[in-house]
Amino acid sequence: MGRKINILISSVGGQGGLSLSRMIAEASRLAGYSIATGETLGMAQRFGSVKSFVRVGIGEKVYSPIFHKNEANYMLCLEIIECARNLEYLDTLLGWIILSYDFRPPVSASLLPSKEKIDSSLLLRRILSYSGERAVLIDPKEVREISGSSRAINASILGAFVEISKIFDDSHAMTAIELVLRNQKAVESSRKAYIFGKSLKGIGDAYSPRRLI
Amino acid sequence: MEMNPLKAKDGEKIALMGNEAIARGALEGGVWIAVGYPGTPSSEVIMTLQEFGAEIYAEWAVNEKVALEIGIGASIGGARSLVTMKGPGLNIASDPLLSASYSGVDGGLLILVADDPGPITTQTEQDSRWYGPLAKLPLISPSNPQEAKDYTVIGLELSERVQLPVILRTTTRVNHAIGEVVLGKISEPRKFRSFKKDPQRFIRAGMTWNLERHRWLNERLVEFEKLAESFSLNRVEGNGEKCIITEGIGYQYVKEFLLNKIESGEKFRILKLGLLYPFPRDFLRKALRGCKETIVVEELDPFLETFLRSELLTFGFSTRIIGKDSGHLPKEGELDLEKLRNLLLGGQNVKDRSLDSAVPIEVPPRPPPLCPGCPHRNSYLGILGGIARAGFSRKDIPIFGDIGCYALSAYPPLSAIWTEHSMGASISMAMGLKLSGFEKPVVATIGDSTFFHTGIQPLIEAVNKRVDMLVVILDNQVVAMTGHQATPSWTKTETGRDVKEVKIEEIVQGIGVDELKIVDPYDLDSMVKAVADSINKRGVKVIISRAPCAILEARRKGRPAYYTVIEDKCTGCLACLRATGCPALYVNEKGKVSIFEEDCYGCALCARYCPTKAIVRGDSVGKKD
Repeated sequence: MGRKINILISSVGGQGGLSLSRMIAEASRLAGYSIATGETLGMAQRFGSVKSFVRVGIGEKVYSPIFHKNEANYMLCLEIIECARNLEYLDTLLGWIILSYDFRPPVSASLLPSKEKIDSSLLLRRILSYSGERAVLIDPKEVREISGSSRAINASILGAFVEISKIFDDSHAMTAIELVLRNQKAVESSRKAYIFGKSLKGIGDAYSPRRLI
Repeated sequence: MEMNPLKAKDGEKIALMGNEAIARGALEGGVWIAVGYPGTPSSEVIMTLQEFGAEIYAEWAVNEKVALEIGIGASIGGARSLVTMKGPGLNIASDPLLSASYSGVDGGLLILVADDPGPITTQTEQDSRWYGPLAKLPLISPSNPQEAKDYTVIGLELSERVQLPVILRTTTRVNHAIGEVVLGKISEPRKFRSFKKDPQRFIRAGMTWNLERHRWLNERLVEFEKLAESFSLNRVEGNGEKCIITEGIGYQYVKEFLLNKIESGEKFRILKLGLLYPFPRDFLRKALRGCKETIVVEELDPFLETFLRSELLTFGFSTRIIGKDSGHLPKEGELDLEKLRNLLLGGQNVKDRSLDSAVPIEVPPRPPPLCPGCPHRNSYLGILGGIARAGFSRKDIPIFGDIGCYALSAYPPLSAIWTEHSMGASISMAMGLKLSGFEKPVVATIGDSTFFHTGIQPLIEAVNKRVDMLVVILDNQVVAMTGHQATPSWTKTETGRDVKEVKIEEIVQGIGVDELKIVDPYDLDSMVKAVADSINKRGVKVIISRAPCAILEARRKGRPAYYTVIEDKCTGCLACLRATGCPALYVNEKGKVSIFEEDCYGCALCARYCPTKAIVRGDSVGKKD
C-alpha cells in the first residue's frame, strides 16, 4: 500500500513559489513517484498571493491536482502573511510547516484607513500554534548571506522539506534544481541554500520562536 | 538528461504542465502552423513552442479571429495547424469558427480553447463547451497532462480524417497542472499539399451551396462520432449500478475519491467522456444500461447533464440524474471538492474535514498591484492630475478601462478606471456614453496590444462619428499581463523571426484623429499637461503614453537605480504610499516607510511625493546596489 503526500506552497508572486513546486515535481519524477500539481499562474505581475498545490504519490497514483482544507501534510511558506492566509489547508494533527519568515505586508494593507498594524511576531506565534513542534523556521536573511541570493530561499525550503519527509535522495533534489533553474549561477546559490535548509531542525532548537520573538 | 520537452525522446516519461504537453502533442501530431493570441490559461502552449525552439511556424497573431483564419487558411492548403486562445478569445474568433464548419479543412486543424472555472484570472466563467453544438464542430476534452498531449495528436488526426476543425477544450486545472507524461514520436510537420478552386466549398455567398454544405456537415458529424470510437476517447470503468458520467478535471477528482472504494469492490461505474460533441449517444446508450442512479460530474454549466436529460427518453430506460440542475452541485465556481466527495461517498461516514481545520487567521487581502516602476501608474496619475488641472473633479470624469495590466489601476490608491469590459471596449463604450447625452469629457484608456487586437475599429468609429473624447493608449510595447508576448510593434519575434514594425502613431494618424501627442509617462508633469490641454477640446484626441514595461526592461537591462528611505527624515505621513501604492514600499514597525530595495525599480515616483525629501537614491547614501 502506497501513500500520498499533499503539499501546499504559499508565497508572494515573484518569490519563487512556482519554481519550488516545479522542483518537487521534477524530483518526484526522478524518484519514480506519481505527481500532480495545481497552480494558479499566468499573470506576469508580481506581488499577489500565490498558492500552489503539489501532490506526490509514492507507490500509488495521484489523480487530483488539488486537495481540500485540512489535508496538507506540509505547508511550505515563503512569507508569513501568506502562510497565515492558507493555514486552513494544514492537517493540524500531523502536518508540518516549513516557513521562511520573510514579512511582506501587502501595500493595500498600509493604506487601510484604520491602519491595523500586522504584528509579524504575533502572527508567527499564531501560525506555530497550529503545528506545535512540527515546524521548521528559516531565516531568509541567513539564506541570503549563505547563498548570496534571495532567489535561493525556495531551495532552502526544499532542503528542509527533504530532511523531514525523507522522500527524496539529495541527488534527485539537486538534479531537480538544475533542471528547473537552467542557470549555473542560480544553481550554485540554490545548492548552498539547499544544504543550509537540510541542516535545520524543527523548532525547539536554535530556530526556536522563543529566540525569535 | 533531456529537459527540452520538444526534443525528449519517444517513450521517455517527463513531468509536464498541461500546456507544455499540448505543445509536445502539436509536434507529435505534425503541426506546421501554431498561432494564437495570449490568454490565461492558454498562453504557455505557443510560449513552449517558441522557447524550446520548435522548428515550425509558432507566432502570436494580432487577435484570435486572425489567428483562427490563419489556421483555416493553412489547413485548407493541407497543412496541419494549431490555434490557441482563452475562452473569451473564442468569442472573438467565433465568426470564422462557424463558417469553418461549412468549408471544412484538408490538413488537421485543432483549436485549443482554455476556460477558467473559478474564475481565477478571467472576466467570466464562460463554458466554451457550448461552442461544440453552436458551431457544430467536434469537441474533445482531456483530463490531465498525458491526455492533453494525446488528445492533441488524436484531435489533429481526427480533424484531418473527417475534414472538420476539432475543438480541444481545456480548463485551468488541466492547462496548468503538472503531471507525468509518456512521450510519443515526433512527426514530420505536414506542410502545404495542394489548394484547388472549389467555390461551393470555400465561398459562403451562395445560399443553395450553403444548404448543401450544412447537409455535408451533419453527415461529417455522424461520421466523426463513429470514428472517435476507434480512438477510445470514451470509456467505461467498473460495472456497478451507481453510475458517474464525467469529463475533464472532474474525472481526476472522481478517481481520487473513489479509488479505494472501487478497489475494495464497491460497485461504481465511471463513464469517462473524452468526446463531448457530437454527444456520444450510442456509447451512452450502451454504457448506461442498468444504471439506477447517474451522477454527472462536470465543471461550470450542466452541459452533459442537459444533453443527458434530453436523450434519456430515446434511450428507452430511466435513471435518476444527479448533478447541477438537480441542485446537488453548484453551477458557479470550481467543483467543490468537499461537496463532490460527500455526493460520491454517499454522505455516510464522511465527516466534513473542514470542521477540523485550523481557524483561518484573518490577514489583509493581497490583490496583485501594479509593479514597482510600472509606467501605467504614472500614466493614470497623469490622467487624474490632468483632469484636476483642467478644473474637473475626478468623480465627474469617467475613465474607461480595457483589458490588460492597467486594469489593476482599479484598486486603491489610484482607483482610476470606471469600467473594464471586453477587449477593445474602452473607446466604443466611452462613445456610447457620450452619445447617450453625457456632457462632460470622457477618457478611454487602452493598452498597445489591446489597441492592435480590437481597439482600432472603435477608434475609426469615434473619429468617423465625430464623438468628443480623449483616448490614452498605454504603450508599454508588449503583451505584459500574460507573460510578455510580442506585439506588432516588435521588429523581431520570440523565435527570432524578422518582422516589420507596425507603428501605433501611424495607424492613429491614418484614421484621422483630431490631435495626437506622444508622451513619456515618467515625465509626469508633461503627462499632466498633455491631458489637461486635450481633455476639453472637441474631437478625438489621442495621447500615446509610451514607456516599456518596467519589469521586462529590468530583466533585459537591469534596473536603472534603487531608492531608500532616510528614516530620520521620514515622518510617517505615508504621502508616498497614498499617491503611488507601490508594492516596494511598506510601513515598518516604527510606523515609518521602508523600501524593499531589491524590488525597487528606481522610478523615483515615491520620492516626488515625499514632503520631507526622505526618499533618496540608494547609491547616494553609500549603499551598494
